[in-house]
Amino acid sequence: MDKQDQHIASVYDRDLEGIQAAIMKMGGKVEQAIHDAARALVKRDLELAETVRLRDKDIDQLDSEINEDVVRVIALRAPMGSDLRTVISVMKVSANLERVGDYAKNMAKRTMILADASPVEGTELALQRMTKEVENMLQQALDAYIRRDADLAQTVREMDEEVDQMYNALFREFLTHMMEDPRNISVCMHMHFMAKNIERMGDHVTSIAEQVIFLTTGEMPEDERPKADNTSTEGTLS
Amino acid sequence: MLDDTNLAETTVANDDIKIAARDVSVYYGDNQAIKGVDVDIADRTVTAFIGPSGCGKSTFLRCFNRMNDTIDICRVTGDIRLDGEDINAKSVDPVQLRAKVGMVFQKPNPFPKSIYDNVAYGPRIHGLAKSKADLDDIVEKSLRRGAIWDEVKDRLHAPGTGLSGGQQQRLCIARAVATEPEVLLMDEPCSALDPIATAQVEELIDELRQTYSVVIVTHSMQQAARVSQKTAFFHLGNLVEFGETTQIFTNPKDKLTESYITGRIG
Repeated sequence: MDKQDQHIASVYDRDLEGIQAAIMKMGGKVEQAIHDAARALVKRDLELAETVRLRDKDIDQLDSEINEDVVRVIALRAPMGSDLRTVISVMKVSANLERVGDYAKNMAKRTMILADASPVEGTELALQRMTKEVENMLQQALDAYIRRDADLAQTVREMDEEVDQMYNALFREFLTHMMEDPRNISVCMHMHFMAKNIERMGDHVTSIAEQVIFLTTGEMPEDERPKADNTSTEGTLS
Repeated sequence: MLDDTNLAETTVANDDIKIAARDVSVYYGDNQAIKGVDVDIADRTVTAFIGPSGCGKSTFLRCFNRMNDTIDICRVTGDIRLDGEDINAKSVDPVQLRAKVGMVFQKPNPFPKSIYDNVAYGPRIHGLAKSKADLDDIVEKSLRRGAIWDEVKDRLHAPGTGLSGGQQQRLCIARAVATEPEVLLMDEPCSALDPIATAQVEELIDELRQTYSVVIVTHSMQQAARVSQKTAFFHLGNLVEFGETTQIFTNPKDKLTESYITGRIG
């Protein structure tokens, strides 16, 4: 760190580093949660699902700690310029991570319900692939955050399109299964909610990437984010 | 009740330029304190000058009403125009100029006269009051604008120097606005004031900008952020960055500005 990177008041540096370290810790826990949630589903591992569910409390706890710290830093240090953007982005990233954590928890809950149901061929692995994609996005988004790398963040934003397309494909697949045999409906509905949850995770990670761009450039990306989830706009009900 | 979602106005409402400075340099003997600064001060706008001690912001401020004339070794070059008129022209009377471009200093400097006379002095010498009643009105109005009326209304004929430091400063502000200046220069006006008096002065500044142009030098970044619409950052006699206050404090373009406002260089 050269001299211009450090505050005259060194406790201020510690405060800012502290909240960013907390974000990284939280990010790590969320990554773990989505990874385990997908694994629990594929392996029908109820114990792991239960662990994911319980660990969400830690994530929520970190989120509220980060919020308290942010409020304190704003009140005591009146951050300006890039410090202000750091503090604001920390708050938003934390909220996004917390939501991703909730979706992972919801997957874990549905996994428990599905414990005895027979798997719908191929869809579980597709869900896991989708989760892997989101996990990868999250990893890179956090990496971009800590490295203040707007280009990498932009790449992450673009990756979300892939997730959306996977969701579209799954959506159609579930529809087909349900139409083929109404006995599939209950399972497919749960599976579909999980797919939707993962798709939403992707959106939250995209939002984190956008925060990275705001943090580094001072401006939110202006171009329209690539969107490929067209299940809400295309008539697939026939 | 909650249907007005507008935040306080932070943008500059007009493009009318009150003061235009071009290539202004100031020398103290051989020492160059200001290095070729160009700046446009907008009308009906609060402009804040920020920067570390010794960066020249006060020196530059003092160019606007030729206060530097009073310092023998000080030499000002370049062009400063108030409403398009060269303020350094031979035909300009510095006393008249200072009636139009008022100033409030860092340290309160009331005249050794009564509170009333402190405020009445300017209007009297510039012949702004037609009668005693007129003058009384000006004094009351100015003291109210200086947010000190309630504290001194019962002792207008007591000496101004008998007031507390914060009260003296507000008296000086009242004195400065009594001549209805078009531009008010404030050099660290709140450094001797408590938070309440500071807030009152800030409120006053915001009120003044409806009609006047205010230029304030401040060491308090928060104050600059609160009261101004435009901010200029000075460093070692150079104008490093000049822009909308919101932009300067959220997303400065210059690395040096960023370092200063975030508390990384003094």
